[in-house]
Amino acid sequence: MSLTSALTIAQQSLQTTSKQTSVLSRNIADASNTDYARRTAVVVSSAPGARSVEIQRAANALLFRQNLSAQSAWSGQSTLYSGIDRLAVAVNGVDNASSASTAIGKLQNALQLYAATPSNQNLGSNVIDAAKQVVRALNDGTNAIQDFRTQADGEISTAVDDLNALLSQFQDANKAVISATRSGTDASDALDQRDALLKKIADYVPVSTFTRGDNDMVITTKDGTTLFETIPRSVSFTPSPGYTAGTPGNTIYIDNVPVSAGSGGNTSADGKLAGLITLRDGVAATMQSQLDEVARGLITAFAETAPSQPDKTGLFTWSGGPAIPAAGTLIDGLAGSISVNAAMDPSVGGNPGLLRDGGANGAAYVANTAGNASYSQLLIAYGDKLDKPMPFDAAAGITVTSSVSDYAANAIGWFEGQRQQASTNADAKEALAARTAEALSNDTGVNVDQEMSLLLDLEHTYQASARMMKTVDDMLSALLDAVG
Amino acid sequence: MKATSVSSSSLSNAARYQQMRMQAELVKATKESTTGTVADVGLALGARTSQAVTFSRDLDRLNVIIDSNSLVTARLSSTQDALGQLSDTAQNLLTALTAAGNSSSTITQQAGKAAVQQMTSILNASVNGEYLFAGTNTDVKPIDDFTAAGSPAKAAFDASFTSYFGFNQNAPQAANITAAQMDGFITSNVVPQFMGAGWQANWSNATDQQIVSRISLGETTQTSVSANEDGIRKLAMAAAMVTGLLSGNLSQEAKTTVVGRAQSMVGEALGGIGQLQAETGLAEKRVSDASDRMKTQVDLFERHILDLEGVDPAEAATRVADLTQHIETSFALTARLQQMSLLNYLT
Repeated sequence: MSLTSALTIAQQSLQTTSKQTSVLSRNIADASNTDYARRTAVVVSSAPGARSVEIQRAANALLFRQNLSAQSAWSGQSTLYSGIDRLAVAVNGVDNASSASTAIGKLQNALQLYAATPSNQNLGSNVIDAAKQVVRALNDGTNAIQDFRTQADGEISTAVDDLNALLSQFQDANKAVISATRSGTDASDALDQRDALLKKIADYVPVSTFTRGDNDMVITTKDGTTLFETIPRSVSFTPSPGYTAGTPGNTIYIDNVPVSAGSGGNTSADGKLAGLITLRDGVAATMQSQLDEVARGLITAFAETAPSQPDKTGLFTWSGGPAIPAAGTLIDGLAGSISVNAAMDPSVGGNPGLLRDGGANGAAYVANTAGNASYSQLLIAYGDKLDKPMPFDAAAGITVTSSVSDYAANAIGWFEGQRQQASTNADAKEALAARTAEALSNDTGVNVDQEMSLLLDLEHTYQASARMMKTVDDMLSALLDAVG
Repeated sequence: MKATSVSSSSLSNAARYQQMRMQAELVKATKESTTGTVADVGLALGARTSQAVTFSRDLDRLNVIIDSNSLVTARLSSTQDALGQLSDTAQNLLTALTAAGNSSSTITQQAGKAAVQQMTSILNASVNGEYLFAGTNTDVKPIDDFTAAGSPAKAAFDASFTSYFGFNQNAPQAANITAAQMDGFITSNVVPQFMGAGWQANWSNATDQQIVSRISLGETTQTSVSANEDGIRKLAMAAAMVTGLLSGNLSQEAKTTVVGRAQSMVGEALGGIGQLQAETGLAEKRVSDASDRMKTQVDLFERHILDLEGVDPAEAATRVADLTQHIETSFALTARLQQMSLLNYLT
């Protein structure tokens, strides 16, 4: 051992310390970056006497995976909930004010008032106005639902583009990781980037990953479709230009496998894509069917009947009128085509009195043959029919037999049930996502205070090494002085 | 290296998520404590929202039916009133007829005429623009005025006299009509004019069909009286006979027959009108019972709706206070946490 070797050791220590300091300052710089995993500069002995610094990246695969799946679940659920919330306001209005059910209630009231004083033509016009409100609620509801489906379709299209872009970025990040791993250089930055992309991808589809040799990562969706393997697999979707009731939406294909929609308010749909499909083809489509059934129920309840004559449309008619739509069978888009019979609508020259007397379909259907002013039987019968159970199509998802007014109320109940479940579970899934993110951050994130205390250690080491060099320098110069 | 650790970012974000939740909750609680009902019925009730919707719709309907029942009640009580007046008219006529033996036939005839006029004006009364006794034909005056000039009823009455006897009431031959002849005339010609098809042809525009009203969610009933009821026809017949036959040149014998027949007819009419009054009273009772029942239902429904949608205002207010306090604490803690850093001690 000699003074020179002491000097070399001190020199090496200075080098190690500065390397450690640089890692530490990097940690501090990225303290608030949630995608950053803390690095530790560990000093290892490579050969007897030799020391080198190795950079280790804090990672917790288990927590990370948990965070990814919580993220997907929340993303799907919150997409569903916000969509349902939008639909609620667009179709039913605030506090259900513009819902078909409310409008039917007002129609019943107007009908009751007219039935109490059938000689008053104003009350007749009042019923027609109430009927127009019902028609407007149904027509507007249909338009709102189909607009919503078109919008959801557009969102799916954007989301698919985003996903494809993310997958191609992922390819670059993955390549960087592989090459860094192969060449033995620090892959930490590349890994950070790859994990960040993976989190974003998990927003759109639920993923599961496995890592092969050289840190090469393969992504599959939760149900096993390959999303990325060496190269990104294509996610394809053709948006539809517009929707009408009953048209099914196009499917999203990942690697030519269709993405399935979730079901229920506590949706099984993970990720934004499945959430959007559930909205477009599940909730919105069912709601449309229910509106169509309400429209059919109304047309049937107000049908004009006459002995040995076929039933024909009365107050409400539709594109297939004057025939009555078949009982118990859903007709797609009926809520969009229902209208108030022009024969009774005073604003287009009709006579509201026909509602009291019958005869919108000709003399054979006149019930009040004498034209008596206070004939109320027909009006009372219409009121009764609104409360009389009739069969509804099971395809619309709610009670098969009920009165049309109850059916409209049940439709609201069904929808609010979905909304409540979606809301409760969105809260729960959000909490889980926030909790797993926090756990992950605690495990792999930077604590500035800890880094600062490490910095103090490093400072001391640095000072000691510098002192060492100074001392050796002093000793050497003392020797040289003695010699010289 | 460390058993449990906490990262700086989760330390500074720790309270953020909770704060967000609490603030959302605070908005809800504030709304609930001011309105007394849940902030979002749909979210609070879920699938049971249909109950709330049905309840409030039925509540509206009940209120509308209670309102329309007050119209029906007004019609029925006017009808009852009018029937009472008819009964008085009949009673007066009966008094005049009873006294007919002691007074001149002109006085009796005047009494008959007054009865016809009173009856016509009572039966032609209208409420709310609807003729009370018109059945369902409420926009047409139900009864023809027998005493007015050009009355078809009077013309038909006179024509039947002329065709039966071959001369009119004022002809000198009328003095020869015997009691039996007069009786025959009344039975075969006068009675069909009132109790048969002649009534609808000459006297009445009312329909036999009466106004039907819905008086509760599932109950309908007849809520008017038609001028075609037997009691009214009989009163009209008695009054018309007295008016139309006592004025002329008839023999005392024939006049006595007329008065006798009229007397018994008014007696029957009184019975008939009494019956109508009872029926109307029953209908009034049904309507008022239905209204009372519905008012009870309204109370019940309001309570149900309150049970479903209401919140305890005291609880909501406490929640607001609690949340405000929590949020303030959380703010204070966040500020303290931000200050807490090793950096402050490294100089």
